[in-house]
Amino acid sequence: MLSRLSDGLDRARREAGLSHGELWMRYFELGGMSTALELEGFLYGALRPSANDYNVVAHALNERFVELGGNHPVAYSEDVSNATEEGATQ
Amino acid sequence: MTVSFWADEVVVSVLGDVDLVTAPDLNVVLAAVLERGPGPAVVDLADTHFMGVAGLRVLEAGAERLAACGRRLTIRSPSVLVSRMLDISGLAEIVNIQRADQGHGHLGPEQTAAVPGTPVTEAGGLTRHLRRVTSIPADDDVVDGALSLVVALARATVGGADGVSVSLQRHGQLMTVAASDQTILDMDAYQYASGEGPCVDASVEGRWFHAEALDQETRWPAFTPKARSLDINAILSSPLLAEDRPVGALNIYSRTAAAFAAEDQELASVFATEASRLLSKAGAGVTDDQLSDRLALALRTRRSIAHAQGVLMEREGIGAQEAYTLLRTFSRETNQPLRERAADIAGSTRRLPPSPAPEQKEGPCSVG
Repeated sequence: MLSRLSDGLDRARREAGLSHGELWMRYFELGGMSTALELEGFLYGALRPSANDYNVVAHALNERFVELGGNHPVAYSEDVSNATEEGATQ
Repeated sequence: MTVSFWADEVVVSVLGDVDLVTAPDLNVVLAAVLERGPGPAVVDLADTHFMGVAGLRVLEAGAERLAACGRRLTIRSPSVLVSRMLDISGLAEIVNIQRADQGHGHLGPEQTAAVPGTPVTEAGGLTRHLRRVTSIPADDDVVDGALSLVVALARATVGGADGVSVSLQRHGQLMTVAASDQTILDMDAYQYASGEGPCVDASVEGRWFHAEALDQETRWPAFTPKARSLDINAILSSPLLAEDRPVGALNIYSRTAAAFAAEDQELASVFATEASRLLSKAGAGVTDDQLSDRLALALRTRRSIAHAQGVLMEREGIGAQEAYTLLRTFSRETNQPLRERAADIAGSTRRLPPSPAPEQKEGPCSVG
């Protein structure tokens, strides 16, 4: 289910108007431990992040959406266990 | 904290107060700047109201270091309170002090146009300082400045690191372009001279070399005894790649055998990858001041978050990951950035009597 969550990550990054480099910087700032290359791997689905790593990426994106006046559109891993998978990426 | 490189001086601008938590960051950045070259160094305190003893010590160490080579550190625009502390501590006698009302070269109109009484926000400070940058050094200098910063950051954050250097292939030979101290320069030089060692191998082969315990090391018979004679017992060399070609290595040295735990190796890899990206994009307009202030800021936030995690772990009796999830959930529910919540929590403990709490490991062991 994490892989399904990850599907939308790069789309979310583009919607948030963040370059790969800036998203990595925000992710690193929030405590992420993966390299920029690995992060790109997560975004494109080539690598599968751990749930914790995924949540840091999701949060970095969500904080950007909040800056843009939005809410937290990117789902966290815990949302999936409490909700149906269909709704999770909304 | 921002670093502006001018043709005639380097200015470290401190944003906010310097206390026990932020003084180490100032130390890292100031050390990197002082290592970088002979030009005048300025610490701009216009946005700092309070400076603790830890901050004064950092300035003192910087001033003494400059004094050793006949230079003086300049402290620009200290607040009334900070001026008083500089006087009391005796620091005022060993540094140049430029008061806020004294004119100096780089104050643009945008600075004087600030509305009186309006606090300068961190973002405002950053853009202001970025706008003020007018001169960019030659290409190699830009890269070297940024790599010095990577060295300083790796030295400060990778557990067990007693010294760090970056070796690069330039003009057909391997040379050290940034190093944390003389011992480390010597360590690298021994490897170049003997043509063997983890740094040489990582630079040539483009893969990791980890000498966990030099007393059991057999791969580099000429180099290993030299290293041990300088009391170095563990080395971690990560390859630096530009456009996927090996061009050098990030070398981390420790006096302690088996010093580098798994998370330290991960952090080393993160720094090596970032240095590689820098090298790949060296011509693409990344200036060292932009990189340095963004990295310094990111690092400071990471540290603050790790600190808040530690506070929550102790207060709630929970694990690191649960503490992180608490912070994240709070941020989600209130739309307050996680870093601000972390800063509140970290700040709420500062008034308590100092407890000898173990220093937070850099980076959330929680993540990953």
